[in-house]
Amino acid sequence: MGVDRNVDKEMKLFLRIILDICIAIAVLNGWWPIAIILVLIGAWFFKLYIEIIIAGVAYDALFGMTHGMGWRGYEGTIFSVVLLIVVKLLKKLVR
Amino acid sequence: MYIRTSKKPGQEHARMAAYIAAGIVIVIIAVQLLVPHFLPSIFTTITRPFWRMEFSVGSGSLESPQALLAENESLKTQLAALNVQQQSVQAVVNDNSELLALLGRTDASSTTVSSLKPIPGIILAAVLVRPPQAAYDELIIDIGADHGITLGSKVYAPGNILIGSTTDILGQTSKVKLFSSPGETYYVLIGSSRIPATAVGRGGGQYQAEVPQASKINQGDTVSDSSISDAPFGIVTAVLANPADPFETVLFAPSVNIYQLRWVLIATSTKK
Repeated sequence: MGVDRNVDKEMKLFLRIILDICIAIAVLNGWWPIAIILVLIGAWFFKLYIEIIIAGVAYDALFGMTHGMGWRGYEGTIFSVVLLIVVKLLKKLVR
Repeated sequence: MYIRTSKKPGQEHARMAAYIAAGIVIVIIAVQLLVPHFLPSIFTTITRPFWRMEFSVGSGSLESPQALLAENESLKTQLAALNVQQQSVQAVVNDNSELLALLGRTDASSTTVSSLKPIPGIILAAVLVRPPQAAYDELIIDIGADHGITLGSKVYAPGNILIGSTTDILGQTSKVKLFSSPGETYYVLIGSSRIPATAVGRGGGQYQAEVPQASKINQGDTVSDSSISDAPFGIVTAVLANPADPFETVLFAPSVNIYQLRWVLIATSTKK
């Protein structure tokens, strides 16, 4: 029983790492629609999916955060925080 | 008695997520306020090798030396072909300018309707063979019966200068005998007094005519066609006078160099 739980945990961790790598590739290539889909999947299936915020910050750091852009330079960060909260609330409602 | 010592794990996770998210946002704001370029430089430094690798793969830097050499060779060949093509384009541009000038359009950018109208009764022809390549002061042009050229059609050099007439019409080429052919004669009017004379061809685009001594023909006078068209025929280059002779010899030549003719205009029946 305990062994099964460990295997399940390891598998989840492995899948999470794979998903993180995919998100990282999408973010560094600027493929934001793909990144959004992937982070939504991650936020829905994994607990405490903090990678979503890292992805948002990374996206802004690479393509935003420029002096003249104002708040639009932080869209990725803001969006990721909002997304994390919304998915968390939805999960609470559904489950 | 049950004493509740901890909250639900789900609530703990939610709270932890909120704390972490809030913490990250606060850290980002603080870092951005204190060191504005810190986060972009960190992430760019991490990402740069991946971007470089992607660029290298995209530009073929990771290909084998043989493949690169082959590509280099191919590019050199393409460059040589493009150079040849560029020269062809330049030749076409030169031809276009020459044609525009020939048709009275000195401004190549002019697109007015009148400037684009074809001139009625005029057909443009390219000179395929010219003196001295062709003997007997003859031109061979690139249009013939296929363009409705008829025997005896007058041929004009750029500037509407009458230079000859068609003598042989073939399917897609014609022969033009220049009036300057040795022995050829043509009636002309010389000078401002319009002294009538018979121009006799001397070859090489040169003419001579005999006019009375009192005609007062001078070097530089114009010679024109005696027909109603009054087309320019040539310019007097010399006047040879012999006091013992009642006539003086006028030598003249067209203002264009027949050895450099590339285009001529062929008059059809409507040309006046």
